[in-house]
Amino acid sequence: MKEGAELRNEREFPSSKSGQGVGARLPRKEDDRLMRGRGLYVGDVRLAGLKDVAFVRSPLAHARIRGIHVPERYRDRVFTAADLVGIKPIRAVSGLPGFKISEQPVLATGKVRQVGELVAMCLAPTRAEAEDIAASVMLDLEELPAITDMLKAREPDTALVHEHWGDNVFLETNYEVDISAALDAPIKVTREISTARQCMSPLEGRGVVATFDSRLDQLTLHSAAQMPHITRSGLAECLGMEEGQIRVISPDVGGGFGHKGILLPEEVCLSWLTMQRGHPVRWLEDRREHLVASSNCREHHYKITVYADSDGTLRGIDCEATVDSGAYSSYPFSACLEAAQVASILPGPYKMPAYRCRTFSVATNKCPILPYRGVARTGVCFALELMLDLVAAEAGLEPGEVRLRNLVRPEQMPFDNVTKKHFDSGDYPEAMRRALAAIDIDAIREKQKQGEADGRRIGVGVSIYCEQAAHGTSVYSGWGIPMVPGHEQASARLTPDGGLELRVGVHSHGQGMETTLAQVAHEILGVDVAHIRIMLGDTAMTPYSTGTWGSRSMVMAGGAVATACRELGERARRIGAKLLQHDPASVVLQNGEVRGVNGSVSLKAIAHTWYRRPQDLPADVDPGGLEVTQGYKPVRDSGTFSYAAHAAVVAVDPDLGEVEILDYVIVEDGGVLVNPLVVDGQIYGGLAQGIGTALYEEMPFDASGQPLATTLADYLLPGPTEVPAARLDHMETPSPYTQFGVKGIGEGGAIAPPAAIANAVNDALRPLGVELMQSPITPHRIVAAVLAARATERSAA
Amino acid sequence: MNTIALQVNRRAVELSAEPRTSLADFVRDKLDLTGTHLGCEHGVCGACTVLLDGVPARSCITYAAACEGADITTIEGLDEDEITTELRAAFTREHALQCGYCTPGMLVSARDLVLRLPDADERRIRVGLSGNLCRCTGYVGIVRAVQSVIEARRARSIAPQTGGGRTSLGPVGSGRAAASRSERPVQQALAPASESAAPGSIPDFVPATVLDQRFTLAQPPAEVFAMFEDIAGIAACLPGVSLKSPPSPERVEGLIRVRLGPIAAAFEGAARVERDPATLSGRIVGIGTDQRSHSATQGEIRYRLLPLEGGAATAVELSIGYTLTGMLAQVGRPGLVRDLAKRLVADFAANLDRHMSGRPSEPGAPAELSFWSIASDVLRARIARMLGRRSGTG
Amino acid sequence: MKPAPFAYERPRDLHAALSMLAASNGSAKIIAGGQSLGPMLNLRLVQPELIVDISGLAELKRAEMSGGDLVLGALVTHADIEDGRAADVTRGAMRGVAANIAYRAVRNRGTIGGSLSHADPAADWISALAALGARVTLRSLAGARSMAVEAFVVGALECALHAGEIVEAVHVPARAASAHWGYAKSCRKTGEFAHAIGAVLIDPVAASARVVIGAIDTAPIVVTDAAELFGGRIAADYKQRFDVRVADALLAKAGIDDVAQRHIHVSVLKRAVQEAAA
Repeated sequence: MKEGAELRNEREFPSSKSGQGVGARLPRKEDDRLMRGRGLYVGDVRLAGLKDVAFVRSPLAHARIRGIHVPERYRDRVFTAADLVGIKPIRAVSGLPGFKISEQPVLATGKVRQVGELVAMCLAPTRAEAEDIAASVMLDLEELPAITDMLKAREPDTALVHEHWGDNVFLETNYEVDISAALDAPIKVTREISTARQCMSPLEGRGVVATFDSRLDQLTLHSAAQMPHITRSGLAECLGMEEGQIRVISPDVGGGFGHKGILLPEEVCLSWLTMQRGHPVRWLEDRREHLVASSNCREHHYKITVYADSDGTLRGIDCEATVDSGAYSSYPFSACLEAAQVASILPGPYKMPAYRCRTFSVATNKCPILPYRGVARTGVCFALELMLDLVAAEAGLEPGEVRLRNLVRPEQMPFDNVTKKHFDSGDYPEAMRRALAAIDIDAIREKQKQGEADGRRIGVGVSIYCEQAAHGTSVYSGWGIPMVPGHEQASARLTPDGGLELRVGVHSHGQGMETTLAQVAHEILGVDVAHIRIMLGDTAMTPYSTGTWGSRSMVMAGGAVATACRELGERARRIGAKLLQHDPASVVLQNGEVRGVNGSVSLKAIAHTWYRRPQDLPADVDPGGLEVTQGYKPVRDSGTFSYAAHAAVVAVDPDLGEVEILDYVIVEDGGVLVNPLVVDGQIYGGLAQGIGTALYEEMPFDASGQPLATTLADYLLPGPTEVPAARLDHMETPSPYTQFGVKGIGEGGAIAPPAAIANAVNDALRPLGVELMQSPITPHRIVAAVLAARATERSAA
Repeated sequence: MNTIALQVNRRAVELSAEPRTSLADFVRDKLDLTGTHLGCEHGVCGACTVLLDGVPARSCITYAAACEGADITTIEGLDEDEITTELRAAFTREHALQCGYCTPGMLVSARDLVLRLPDADERRIRVGLSGNLCRCTGYVGIVRAVQSVIEARRARSIAPQTGGGRTSLGPVGSGRAAASRSERPVQQALAPASESAAPGSIPDFVPATVLDQRFTLAQPPAEVFAMFEDIAGIAACLPGVSLKSPPSPERVEGLIRVRLGPIAAAFEGAARVERDPATLSGRIVGIGTDQRSHSATQGEIRYRLLPLEGGAATAVELSIGYTLTGMLAQVGRPGLVRDLAKRLVADFAANLDRHMSGRPSEPGAPAELSFWSIASDVLRARIARMLGRRSGTG
Repeated sequence: MKPAPFAYERPRDLHAALSMLAASNGSAKIIAGGQSLGPMLNLRLVQPELIVDISGLAELKRAEMSGGDLVLGALVTHADIEDGRAADVTRGAMRGVAANIAYRAVRNRGTIGGSLSHADPAADWISALAALGARVTLRSLAGARSMAVEAFVVGALECALHAGEIVEAVHVPARAASAHWGYAKSCRKTGEFAHAIGAVLIDPVAASARVVIGAIDTAPIVVTDAAELFGGRIAADYKQRFDVRVADALLAKAGIDDVAQRHIHVSVLKRAVQEAAA
């Protein structure tokens, strides 16, 4: 089928009467089993003969391994790198020029480069006993100086994470569009801005159950993974096996957010172990392992200058961005995706003629970073939106006004910005205007003049972003990383009783795809969603897919399902025409029936005839049958651009440093929404994570590289009282390039809150001379800044 | 192994389990009731919440052995429960779950709220659910769902159950068990690691935390300096230290035991001794490993002697620095460790003061005692206030 | 995250429990509700050879009046106090504190005696009960002794229990009709450990005040005669007379050299004073 041939952007879809198609606020099909404790997560997989694994992990951030001492009686149950003959290290190489390659051994060899790095694997009947064995193994380590500060790591004569590199920089990039044109701008603001290292913290950790099926000559890996097909490719590379010898099954997954998009050394280890031992083996990541060992995210530093005219019109941005990538390049996204992305997305939805950005992906003795919901966008939005508030102050404008002056306007769509990002559609100024109106900026300014009786200070902040989603081949081929998405495929099969089976290679870890993809299929075929089954997360059952990441699943897999269902519908229609004895040109498929002038035949009847009574079919029937696999790619694969304006009102107690979010408004444009209930849930959930970034979550390290927030008593995740009942408003500008005009929206909620909240806190405290440019904004940071400002004021007086 | 008899989902169960088996692992692994989820295993996230004697409890930090005779209801036992049925309908209507991992624990806690708090407004519902983390939904749908069920029941005039129906005192799940005991488990044999316990070379390091102390002695500096040569005597002043062998002037090997509340560690290692007669100063720098907790520490004691009263007396300036790595550094809470270190250093200074003044040491000193028994309050008062921490992670 | 193996004993009565402790020679650890010890066991921070589970001991589950004091057995839970199953002689002060400890599921098992013995500086009871003038009874095979809560807590996770000794009961004096109570804490999020606690029991009629500054990484600062915090005397206008400089000096003296931390502690204490006066 020709791409985009069936493009439809009209708001009214045929299924709107059934309440099950695109646009329906349909409760989810997956809820019932999950609410009865009958989900099947990886920890719930039960296999006969299963044994547990615990790992010996490095207690030090950087050390040479002098020896690994295993008690005699455990010699046959402890495995080290020396045992893993033929297993290759994990390599995630970017094709960008100058990228330095790290090799991550699945069990450490020679050196350890992060706390928590795997050193030995211990096998026992239960996890507790495996941990006993792990505790009995003694490591003889020679501590080396730890590299914990990414800015110092760039300095000459620093200790090296990977000695043969000569420095600690995975990759440096430079991007410039005539920055000299901006240098004479009357407004010039320079700041350093940083975001803390975070842990993604899905409620369920990673987990692996590995077993080998000798009949099929196949390794089966049950793994809580977002991208099972990619995991399989990575495993095959490390294990030296054919991909066909490996099956990856990702069952119910308890949240991903990026954390479950990495190929784990544990996955490689357990694959090797089950083949070595001949029985199933299991490892479940516990919370400490999650917080200490596997992957972090978000640690950015910006040295940024914004140039503007005195009326607030942006002239340009000059930025040096550094991202702490940790010790190794993680598979498949690599160590440089995040920093390099900063350069291309920093200008966001703003117009400016001049731009320069230099980025560094820096290696340190910390865990590798992974793209977390929003990826680099959260940090970029934080940096730029904080700067725009300073520009507003310099220009004597309301922060909202500065944004309205510089945002791309709807009549400019589609719009290519200064970094050649192709904005597909939207009305950004309208989103900002609606947000300002909904938060009632004028009333807040009045209220601020009155002051608060309780001594707290009120502040209001806004931010806006664009979320490039479902970007495909043309974007990712440029990164040259191990994974480049191409066409997305879906398989659709009518069953003999008229039900519909869909097999899709993406995976759902809370996004509700068992419901939303069924809605897409219902939209095309009219089959009741109760009779549509979605099969996800199994390489043996689903077409190849790069999986679920980058807010791509509804655009890509939704598009693929629609395409496959259209083809299936077309086949059914032609069979139906035969059964109705009509000319195929004169029948239509509508609401699950093939209709002609003289009557109709249901899909159920067509399926029954095809499978059970083929004798009723004419001889010249299309032999292809009622099972199709079709591929899909949007008309342009440079990505959909959803966006939202966020506005926050906070009350800040300058003496206690406590921040209360009094009101929060989000005006979101995610294009056409397949299921607004699910979309709202994604936005609310993203907001909670954004609040975590803004106010709570931080993984600090001491000078020797020890992570210090290694329980949930120290690494604080927002709870019900920390997240407000936000108000949502939707705009729906369809994407011109996708099926139904949908856009990816899964990550957006987490992008803008840190900026909006920080701007609100700074708005509240600006009269005190306080400016906070670092996330998270903690009570201690607020009070320290307030006291420092008071001291400055006193010494000036 | 203990045999544990209890009720799970109205069914009598009798199974053997190790005493260390949590109630969560017991129902998941022994009864295949996998709806009870483990999210943190340290009592914070709430995913493992079950009903214990009818009210919510954390099954990850409650040991199955402690629930002998108790009545346990997991999410699987709430299939037909009236309130849970209402909650399920509201949860799905309000999209109160995404990945579903927190949902069983959330429903158990929500049921308790509905039962106890018929007047709860949004704020009280949020506070009431604060022990259950959800990483997906932002809580909006959850709060709405619980609120709608509470309001619907209020409209039907259904009376609340104070305290969830509980009338007796004490920890839920306790009190119906007879006395019992398990056999002692075999203690873990640690691998011999003598090479690592007494490192050949002792590296220099930059301490993460430095604590300063100063006290005065009535002897002249040269005499005090000579006393610092007595490394065994100095070691005896350090609370918890025991020496493995007679020290040489340059090197000492031994063990230091420290205790932070219930946490006990024994760092085994060696120290290097440096002295500079020209400046009347010196340094002892050491490294040690606690095998049990896979933690290590590096520490140094620097001292400098300054003449007082025209050389008749001496001011001793002590600077004690340390860096901790491994488990104890990561979960020990730096503030608490610092408090411990402050107490240790104060006692060390007090003991040194006493040792060098020639007063007899307290009975029971030096090794392996709780620090609080070592220095009397009188001596403690002689110590100048700590001058302050120079660096650290505070 | 599973505990190291331990043996488990459930004594039939208090005497049996004390005998087990005495026989263990320091290798045993008492568990009651396990809400503090459980996480430490799971993390293998604590690896006792023997756990003595006292959670079933009826002797420690009483709540009764004795000579005007309320005597709470060590096993009374936070939820018992929150719900009013245990009597309250503090006119709601203890109920208010109990209701804001951690989370309901934790309060259903966490005990007052366990919380005191654990002596976590950030926990509520060591500060609140010190302000209320409570005493603890400690018992071993050798007998019982009693001491003020402020003497019982000696440092971070350090209390005055000797080997073989357990907290048997807490004696809470009745709060005078004229005594004002204020309790404030600042937590990063609901239910988490506090990073600052202020507790005050001020009786303007009796001209007395007990003031506690807690959650300072060591034993709380307990000022039993707090006149100096109120300009030298306690009277009806104590709210206006509260002197933040004196509070700040107390914190500095306790070794808190971070100015912002001190400021937060003083502000929380001020909030407790305001609450008492409200």
